[in-house]
Amino acid sequence: MISISELVKSYGNAGNKNQVLKGISLQIADGDFVVILGASGSGKSTFLNVISGLERPDSGSVVYGTSDITRLTDEKLTQFRKDNIGFIFQQYYLLPNMTVEKNVRMGADLAGNREYREMITAVGLEDKTGKYPGELSGGEQQRVSVARALAKKPKTLFLDEPTGALDEQTGRQVLDYICRLHQEYGFTMVMVTHNQNIAEMADTVVKMNSGKVTEVSANEQRKTAYEIGW
Amino acid sequence: MVVGMKDTVKLVGISVIAACAVFVCTLFLNYNRDLAAMQGEIMTEAGMAMYRAQVSTGKVVAAVSGGCLAITSVIMLLFYVKNYIDTHGRELGILKALGYSGFKIARHFWVFGLSVFVGCALGYGLAFLYLPSFYALQNAEQLLPEIEVQFHISVAFFLVGVPAVAFSVLAVIYARLRLRRPVLDLLKDKHEYQTKGNRRETKDQPFLKELAGSTVRERKALVFFVTFSAFCFSAMVQMSLSMKDLSSETMAVMMMTIGLILAFMTLFLSLSSVVKGNTKTIAMMRVFGYPYSDCSKAVLGCYRPFSYMGFVIGTIYQYALLKIMVSIVFADVGNVPEYRFDLTACAITLGLFIPAYEIVMYGYARRIRRLSVKSVMLE
Repeated sequence: MISISELVKSYGNAGNKNQVLKGISLQIADGDFVVILGASGSGKSTFLNVISGLERPDSGSVVYGTSDITRLTDEKLTQFRKDNIGFIFQQYYLLPNMTVEKNVRMGADLAGNREYREMITAVGLEDKTGKYPGELSGGEQQRVSVARALAKKPKTLFLDEPTGALDEQTGRQVLDYICRLHQEYGFTMVMVTHNQNIAEMADTVVKMNSGKVTEVSANEQRKTAYEIGW
Repeated sequence: MVVGMKDTVKLVGISVIAACAVFVCTLFLNYNRDLAAMQGEIMTEAGMAMYRAQVSTGKVVAAVSGGCLAITSVIMLLFYVKNYIDTHGRELGILKALGYSGFKIARHFWVFGLSVFVGCALGYGLAFLYLPSFYALQNAEQLLPEIEVQFHISVAFFLVGVPAVAFSVLAVIYARLRLRRPVLDLLKDKHEYQTKGNRRETKDQPFLKELAGSTVRERKALVFFVTFSAFCFSAMVQMSLSMKDLSSETMAVMMMTIGLILAFMTLFLSLSSVVKGNTKTIAMMRVFGYPYSDCSKAVLGCYRPFSYMGFVIGTIYQYALLKIMVSIVFADVGNVPEYRFDLTACAITLGLFIPAYEIVMYGYARRIRRLSVKSVMLE
């Protein structure tokens, strides 16, 4: 369970302060697939960064089980991310001078996962292990970043607009891979997106506007990546 | 304008190296020219032997120091031009796409030669200021006729004018060659098209080892600079410590100062480039939970063996150079002690080198700690 309480985050100095998160509270159950929906500038990416431990809030708490990550030292927060968190970004952020296999090993080695090739197979890239990111399409690159994130066996996976740079067909394919792996491994998944259709795939939908949560709803029936609109 | 004057400010390393090279060459070549004019006044056999030794010393020092530093400046210049084109590929690609020819863009790179001009002029000016003291030291030995500092336009021309023009032309030619790539390649990120050529099968290598290896492979010029930095430290400090019986204290201090400036300047520039070139990799490693120590070890630690290799090469180089100078150049001159490898100087230099190098590495490891993951990813 992730318990988020009264989260506040601002940027800028005293004279020109911009409060991006205005006291957000939320509970995320283990194994849940949560989609955070919001327009550009609603604070959803900042919220994701703070609850994943990439940024520190001004106030409030983010408690994983019994551990409040806002109170951890830098070293302990790094260790926490190492043991618990996986990330997938819109821009992939693959290491350009490393092959698919080595990019996946970046995540796998942290968890001592020697079976990382299974993850490459799971995203359908078993015949491209020796390729470099520059030799792959956008969809393939995003699948590498999925394999990299999951090869470290995270308990929680954070996704920031994972299909934002992909066309419809490729986007559906990537989402399908992610959802199938989510069902297979049972990790908690928090995805930020502005695409309302993707929300139909989630267990829980959190709508954000101007730094606040405006609505939290649960989906009775989850749809697959090929059933949603685009 | 494609390349602005402010871009040349970053080439301060080349200016410093050029200044050091021209400083040393001016001292010895100007002295040689003035000495040659006095050749007819030397009457004794011992004086002639000393004259020949001094002329040879001047030629050897100017050729070895000047040549070595000139090669380094060339490599550094090419590195900067390549780096500039890699980091400004999009802008240059757009210009090519708009119809500018490769040469039209490349010709603006002449400004890179300005850094050499500034360095050479500075080195020449400093040398000219120091020449009276240098001549006084040589005159004090009273083995040769007393000589005075004369201005030689040819020395100034060949040590300031020629290098500035040559480096400007070199920068333009090299930029032209680098800009022969197709427009789309320029528009893409540097690594997007660098793949097959650098491929190396290291399947079972752990990620951190692979990262260290690829950091070295991707930036071979930086390997040279890190090695060169240790080489300068080792060679110049050992030489200045072990040549106390062969030359004046002033010369030793001068040599040590030049060596230390070159060593630290090159090391700072290299490590800054290493950290800057790996910011995104470090940011991703931090996001995934790699501790700072792993990031530093993989990105900076891989250069450590090259540094120590540079130290060893520097030790051999200075020993060989002094041995040659003493046994060949000063062969006809009496009272010159036999030169042996100075183990004490080597131990002292190593004792200074290890903490100095590790402190610099620690400083850059601290710089890695200060990298903001968010700011890197928002770039």
